[in-house]
Amino acid sequence: MSTTTPEIVFAGTEGGALTELADYEAVGGLSALRRALGMTPDEIIAELNASNLRGRGGAFFPTGRKWSFVPKPDQVPKPHYLVVNADESEPGTFKDREIMLRVPLRFLEGCLIAARAIESTHVFVYIRGEYEREYEILVAALEQLRKGKHLGGTTIVVHRGAGAYICGEETALLESLEGKRGQPRTKPPFPAIAGLYASPTAVNNVESITTVPPIIEMGGAEYAKVGPESSTGTRVFSLSGNVVRPGNYELPHGYPLRDLIYEVGGGIADGRSLKAVIPGGSSTAILTAAEIDGLTLDYDSLAQAGTAIGSAAVVAIDDRCCIVQLGVRISQFYEHESCGKCTPCRVGTRWTTQILKKLEAGEGSQADLDLLLDVGEKVNGTCLCPLGDTAMIAIASYVAKFREEFLAHIEEGGCPFHGTSSLEGIVAPTDVHEAHHGPAAIHRPLEVVA
Amino acid sequence: MSATFYDEVQTLRKRYPDPLSAVLPALQLAQERNGGWLSEATLREAADALDLTPAYCLSIASFYDMFHTEPVGTHLVEVCTNVSCALSGAQDVVDAFERSLGIEVGGTTEDGSVTLRTVECLGGCGWATVVAVDNRHRLHVRAGDVAGIVAELGE
Amino acid sequence: MTELVKVTIDDRELEVPKGMGLVETAEAAGIEIPVFCYEPRLGPPVGACRMCLVEVEGLPKLQAGCTLVAQDGMIVRTAATSERAASGQRGTLEFILVNHPLDCPVCDKGGECPLQDLTFRYGPGSTRMTFPKMTFDKPIPVSPLIALDRERCILCYRCTRFSSDVAEDHQLIARNRGAHSEITTFSEDPYRAPFSGNVIELCPVGALTSTQYRFEARPWEIQDVPTVCGLCPSGCNIRATTREGAVKRVQSRNHPEVDGGWLCDKGRFAFPHVRADDRIREPLARGPLGLAPIAWDAALDRAEELLRGADGSVVTALSGSETTEIAYGLATLLRRGAGAHSAVLPESTSAALDAFRAPLSTIGDAELVVVVGDDEVVDRAPVVDLWLRKARRAGAEVVTIGARGETPAAPGAAADALASLVSSRSALGQRLRASERAVLVWSGPGGGGGARLAEAAHALGFESKPGCAAFHLPASPNARGVAEAWACAADEDDVAHETIGLLVVSGDEAASDPGVRDLAERADAVIAITMFHSLAVGWADLVLPGTAALEREGTTMNLEGRVQRLRRAVTPPVPDELAWLARLAERFGVALSPHAAVVFEQLSDHLYGGLDLEALGDRAPLPARASYAAPDPGTTPSPAQPPAAEGEHFVGTLRLLRYRPLFSGPQVERVAELQFQRPDGEVTLSAPDADRRGIATGDTVSLRSNGTSVELRARVDRRLVEGVARIAEEHAADLHFDVEVVKA
Repeated sequence: MSTTTPEIVFAGTEGGALTELADYEAVGGLSALRRALGMTPDEIIAELNASNLRGRGGAFFPTGRKWSFVPKPDQVPKPHYLVVNADESEPGTFKDREIMLRVPLRFLEGCLIAARAIESTHVFVYIRGEYEREYEILVAALEQLRKGKHLGGTTIVVHRGAGAYICGEETALLESLEGKRGQPRTKPPFPAIAGLYASPTAVNNVESITTVPPIIEMGGAEYAKVGPESSTGTRVFSLSGNVVRPGNYELPHGYPLRDLIYEVGGGIADGRSLKAVIPGGSSTAILTAAEIDGLTLDYDSLAQAGTAIGSAAVVAIDDRCCIVQLGVRISQFYEHESCGKCTPCRVGTRWTTQILKKLEAGEGSQADLDLLLDVGEKVNGTCLCPLGDTAMIAIASYVAKFREEFLAHIEEGGCPFHGTSSLEGIVAPTDVHEAHHGPAAIHRPLEVVA
Repeated sequence: MSATFYDEVQTLRKRYPDPLSAVLPALQLAQERNGGWLSEATLREAADALDLTPAYCLSIASFYDMFHTEPVGTHLVEVCTNVSCALSGAQDVVDAFERSLGIEVGGTTEDGSVTLRTVECLGGCGWATVVAVDNRHRLHVRAGDVAGIVAELGE
Repeated sequence: MTELVKVTIDDRELEVPKGMGLVETAEAAGIEIPVFCYEPRLGPPVGACRMCLVEVEGLPKLQAGCTLVAQDGMIVRTAATSERAASGQRGTLEFILVNHPLDCPVCDKGGECPLQDLTFRYGPGSTRMTFPKMTFDKPIPVSPLIALDRERCILCYRCTRFSSDVAEDHQLIARNRGAHSEITTFSEDPYRAPFSGNVIELCPVGALTSTQYRFEARPWEIQDVPTVCGLCPSGCNIRATTREGAVKRVQSRNHPEVDGGWLCDKGRFAFPHVRADDRIREPLARGPLGLAPIAWDAALDRAEELLRGADGSVVTALSGSETTEIAYGLATLLRRGAGAHSAVLPESTSAALDAFRAPLSTIGDAELVVVVGDDEVVDRAPVVDLWLRKARRAGAEVVTIGARGETPAAPGAAADALASLVSSRSALGQRLRASERAVLVWSGPGGGGGARLAEAAHALGFESKPGCAAFHLPASPNARGVAEAWACAADEDDVAHETIGLLVVSGDEAASDPGVRDLAERADAVIAITMFHSLAVGWADLVLPGTAALEREGTTMNLEGRVQRLRRAVTPPVPDELAWLARLAERFGVALSPHAAVVFEQLSDHLYGGLDLEALGDRAPLPARASYAAPDPGTTPSPAQPPAAEGEHFVGTLRLLRYRPLFSGPQVERVAELQFQRPDGEVTLSAPDADRRGIATGDTVSLRSNGTSVELRARVDRRLVEGVARIAEEHAADLHFDVEVVKA
């Protein structure tokens, strides 16, 4: 890795994953918790505010401020809850998974400190159902903490999701955790006031929580020295797509995007050239290869470029990719994951898939392209949660940045890649609740190491 | 399902301040006990243990992709076809599974041993293509690896 | 005083109470914010359909107007003045119409359809959708009463919210996710719940329609008659839709204090009983070949002859479903004319409860409610069940004491439980005493028709607290009105007769009551006033045709003590009771008007302090509380059902708890599509009793007592108190008090 900044989230993992409590304590684990136990909740929040840690889930909201919105127990005499969003499902993003695999104990230590900050003794970790191994690692780590009597009076429940992207939206997550269909709620009230079981609740992302122990350890001011002023600290970047060395890389905010792809990631694979970059997960606007020069991986730089840092998931796309096909696949994703509550998103995501498929097949016209953008505008900004917005922002950016490719489909009456696109033959997700499968059979789980 | 199912669900319900929260874990348990899918009888039994209606349990089960309300094979093979995997050749992996198993996506082999599905992002984008075999993720799967995986499933 | 705030909508400055819904705020100013999913009666707004999009100054995104409340300084622009809001709204309507079929001409909702109306006002003239619309099998039955057309469904989730958040039956649900979402029940199960029909009224499109009303009428050829349901003591306000002289459907008329706009399925769907095959359309008299039609004059001759022949040894059995005016007419004829003072009155409500009178909606606002009794509230007065659920959802503590109560009590022991609340040692009693918003409900037989309840409420100091109330749920719709009418027609006392010369049976409920049938065994002759042939055959000497509540003018008094007006929705196929009662009365030299309004005037002077019929209005007011008068133990009405038997309990036997289900009775029995709502042939047992006998839900069990035996399906009910076998009246056959229960 071509950076001299020490890792913070992954600190101490040079020798491998820190899943054993003894190993974790050997690299200084739990000392932050001990320090936090000597601090008042307000002092912990003050430290977080000094660090200017901002939410790593994608919304980039200051963590300390979020906690300060949770009323004090004497103001709202109900149980307070800390809910950790481990429902990582944004295409391109796989960082929380690696955090839970490699530093589960640091993550849980962060949970205990965060719970103290909001004066909660009930923590729920909502982990996506597909992360079965990560679930088992967390449960095993939790058991070690329990045996070591490190939990104090706090209970931590690891709750498995069951396959729904929308549950990454915090209010949908809370609904799901309450045993309901995971559909977003209207806000206000905000979770800080009336969240889980209508009680004060802080909802934080795994990476944010895992960053808490190091902040307590080194001090917020010290942490804030890493990275640019508006985007302090390190970030675990998920690099995927057509690069030589995809993977998760913890780097300071402000790291050059180009360097991530070409230095850290080893450049574009198979001798191809870079065509486009999705900089912050599938929900963010796409960048052309030419646009990435000079951009740095932080909030301001990417916002100025008309996109967002999102979940810090960088997808590098090489020149073999048909952008219209990319649009179809992304639209299929949002159509599949729309919860069905708000009319525009439920209907609009399906409609855009239909229009994009028509365009991709070379059967579309300029009017269809206009309609695509107009449908997008009617969805964007009209729904409860941002799922529809981001779908339409992403798709609109494909058209804006690669309009000539869309027009080529119309003019040529087919895909100009003539079957050579890397996305040729893209397959939509199976609609499990519509599909009819074969006969029932006895199920024997097969143990395969991830 | 099993004699202890009712009691196990009661334990799950006690884990939460509101027992309704136990719906997902209880349905996960029910599905595991019933060979990987939730039959009507299974949903009725789960509903009884949860003190809910079968209709409520169906409304939940059908919202989430990991619950199956139709029978599935002994083994469940799920190939991620979202962008990062697709850019890395997930289509070829799907094709290879289809050929090797002799079924189409969404189908189950005639002997009921394997169900093949395509799924949304499994959270392994840097390790594409990701294939979940009975919920355990195989990473960096290439079309050439498929025959081996299918052979393993047959053992 | 509620704080007033300034809100600006479309440049108009308004002053409204803080927290008022934006939709209502705009409406008050004559500005429409169109909605589909918004329905305040379903609970907090969900903002799903996005029809109500508005622009709010200071907020970057368009907002769902239905989720906003008035706040000081709020500046709102609706689609009328904001191009952004208009564009969003047009988009939403276009999305809604993307999959909606153009079958308005054959849709029952057409002409009274919010989607049709809003499309007309706000919608695009054409569609840009060129892909095939989603198609489904249509219509599919949700139950024998409700049809579902999934193509028309716009997924506003009003129906599923009703099922989960109002009725809490959790039967009607949304299945799947996103564009595949659809409304359904579980598997092939019908939507079987007491209030299912409300979803038809809630549906803003023609997706959920009534199977009874399907293709029966168009909105421009119907008339709606405002009246009151006559099938239970709640007295829900209803609207009867008629076409060409026939009732086609019944809908809620929303009296916010009584029913909150909800109606149970019995009230909504039982109306076809007026057209029952065995409806009696002319008088009948017993002849050599059984009952045979006779002319009206001959019938009145025969009636006169029977009454005179009995020479005062007449017993009258009343149903409690009569209007107060009919009961008064009967009493005038029988008591003043024929000197017949003996009556079997329905289980009535003690007048002592008038000191605790309050609207039923008081329950919804309560913080503490105690429901005492062996009967389920929903079986006696269904809409009260919804008020209780509303209270609980709003955070109230609802304590139930009874055979299926959270505080279990053996059958018949509820009265003791009630009495113990008054004790200073009862913690619950202390809280009732301290609360300003506490309600007591008596749901069961016994208890002196609410007299014991009144004593408890008095002891707890309820009469001085307007937020506190006590309700007795009587077994019949107008028991109190009937009892008072009977009492006020004459003041002579009953004379006990050794024999019964004539039994006069008034109404279908009395005619189907086994107790009344037993009396008939002892009577020399029987006159039955009933609507249905099968209730008259075999025992009546003379049958005079009865009418249904939907066919009557008059008044009833509901369980709150509210006098409400019935209006004739359709003309009965026979002269109504008052018409021939007046003619008979004339023969006995007593004056009786054939007009309900005139009879009411007379009654009103006696009973309601001269209350004017016109003053009852569309939504009748509730009279003020009376001052408390301790019930006289001698005059408390006799319960229609026997009190719980005392005595020895045989080891190993269970106590039989019969109940009369909501879906039972002569009206329900005559409506084919309501049959699925009737209780299954089953016995419910507590889990410990079932375990001891090795019985599980679904097993066939044999029940034996007193030489008779019945086989029923068992259902284990974790809420049922131990030692009890609970069976619906219609399945309990001749089983007696102690039953032996074994696995068959």
